[in-house]
Amino acid sequence: MPSPSRSALMRHFDLVGQLQPAYHQPQHAPYPDAIDHAKYRALLRSSHDVGGEPDVPIEWEEKEEEQWEANTFATCECLAWRGVWSAEERRRRQNVDVGETQYLALPYYGRWLLSAARIIVDKQYVTLTELVNKIDEVKGRYEQKSAR
Amino acid sequence: MSKNQHDRAHHAKKASGVGDPQCFRGEAGQAKFKNGDMVRIRDLPDIFYTRCQVYTRGAVGRITKVVYESPAAEDEAWDNTDHPEWFYSVVFRQHELWPDYPASYKNDTLETEFSERWLEQA
Repeated sequence: MPSPSRSALMRHFDLVGQLQPAYHQPQHAPYPDAIDHAKYRALLRSSHDVGGEPDVPIEWEEKEEEQWEANTFATCECLAWRGVWSAEERRRRQNVDVGETQYLALPYYGRWLLSAARIIVDKQYVTLTELVNKIDEVKGRYEQKSAR
Repeated sequence: MSKNQHDRAHHAKKASGVGDPQCFRGEAGQAKFKNGDMVRIRDLPDIFYTRCQVYTRGAVGRITKVVYESPAAEDEAWDNTDHPEWFYSVVFRQHELWPDYPASYKNDTLETEFSERWLEQA
């Protein structure tokens, strides 16, 4: 893999900064006396439990299921059949453990795929090192292909 | 509680050929509530994970069905199936849940499920 340019890295940091959940209050590692029970509860809430919260309307689009989405679904079901997770553990991981920013910002099956990768690392079926090396290898293969 | 030996296939073995939640039948003991009971939704701490919608907390509804026995979502989310509970379907008046709900739709209702821990007699 080639090194990313510094300017690409800076753009990454800039974008991450913009993706912080908007709480509309400064909140950088506050001192304990700045947190009351209400704020603690708001911060600890499960990110998927959005019923009743004010929000803006979102546009709904009709779209075909994509191949990678079907593959992701099948992978997650296989993990269930082999006892790696139950539906409830999968929901916890893909809806809550990902955190507010990723819950709202990733596509639906993006969260499924991410949590499938996460659980095989968490439960020691592969190490993070093996996963990272594999991603790097596959990425390299695709880049060679597209260069031709 | 950390378990030294965790059989990751325990749920698949138990549910195989029986189904879920059928595989937990008879494990929750006596149901605390029955059809028609009025119940209030408890406001238990909801850190880490819950399936009990926050907008129902403190609201009063009527039980329409005692549905099945199953581990509560809060346990099953960590693959613990040791303590199945009764689940209930509860119906609410929409204006009980939403203060701004238009009065012209006063007969509108919302029905959803709870495990027994979330309910108290109203």
